[in-house]
Amino acid sequence: MKYLTEFHDPELARRLLDSIAATATRRWTLMEVCGGQTHAIIRHGLDQLLADQVEFIHGPGCPVCVTPLEMIDRALAIAARPEVIFCSFGDMLRVPGSETDLFSVRARGGDVRVVYSPLDAVKLAEAHRDRQVVFFAVGFETTAPGAGGAPPRRPGGAPPPPPPPPPGPPPLGSTPRGSQVVTPNHPGLHSMNRY
Amino acid sequence: MCLGIPGRITQIWDDRGTRMALVDFGGVTRTACLAYLPGATVGNYTIIHAGFALTVVDEAAAHRTLATFRELGLLADELGEQPEANEVRR
Repeated sequence: MKYLTEFHDPELARRLLDSIAATATRRWTLMEVCGGQTHAIIRHGLDQLLADQVEFIHGPGCPVCVTPLEMIDRALAIAARPEVIFCSFGDMLRVPGSETDLFSVRARGGDVRVVYSPLDAVKLAEAHRDRQVVFFAVGFETTAPGAGGAPPRRPGGAPPPPPPPPPGPPPLGSTPRGSQVVTPNHPGLHSMNRY
Repeated sequence: MCLGIPGRITQIWDDRGTRMALVDFGGVTRTACLAYLPGATVGNYTIIHAGFALTVVDEAAAHRTLATFRELGLLADELGEQPEANEVRR
């Protein structure tokens, strides 16, 4: 396959650059919102080659490109567990972790399912109550409402009862029996809570 | 996962307290959640992303967008097969 080398053609690039320079009557501002395109623009110096005609603004990118490696590695570890049904948007399947990716985990027997919506993961959880169904909630502001809106409703549609009120503050100098004091260095508190 | 696709709401029902809709994307139908669009009604054109209706759009604009998606061959990619959630395994 020559899909890359055919585009690495300095002569063709020169002709396109000349054509753009001859056509543009003013400077344009363009924003890409794809991490892959940002990468390509910077790597091939398009922002420098088109500096006279285009001001590039690099937009946020979608979760596929901005999910940290650490999160991917955690997801891969969870997806490999036999009791887990791991649900993910399809785009995430080929994103590499430190050593492997979800596609490979699935090929080796992990139960990895592509879902179109977090709601599909809820359906799976209802259908497979004997399994741990995990949804890979990648993203940030754009995907938070979807992931947040997915948790199952109670049968009959009634909202869940409010949690019991917390116990009163402990006397100074004591820790309530049975509770844990969580500090930023507590082993149970890890970087996932950033999100 | 970047693309929201316009479709027409053809049915609305309640699923245990959540409003759901059947949405027609020019012949292909999918279920979507109306939790974030409480005012949507049957006949509205909405942008659907990851199973959620995000906004109501003008019908003419929706048709133009769907035609462009089809022309670029993106409609099949974005809507895909029926979700794998429906498969029965093990």
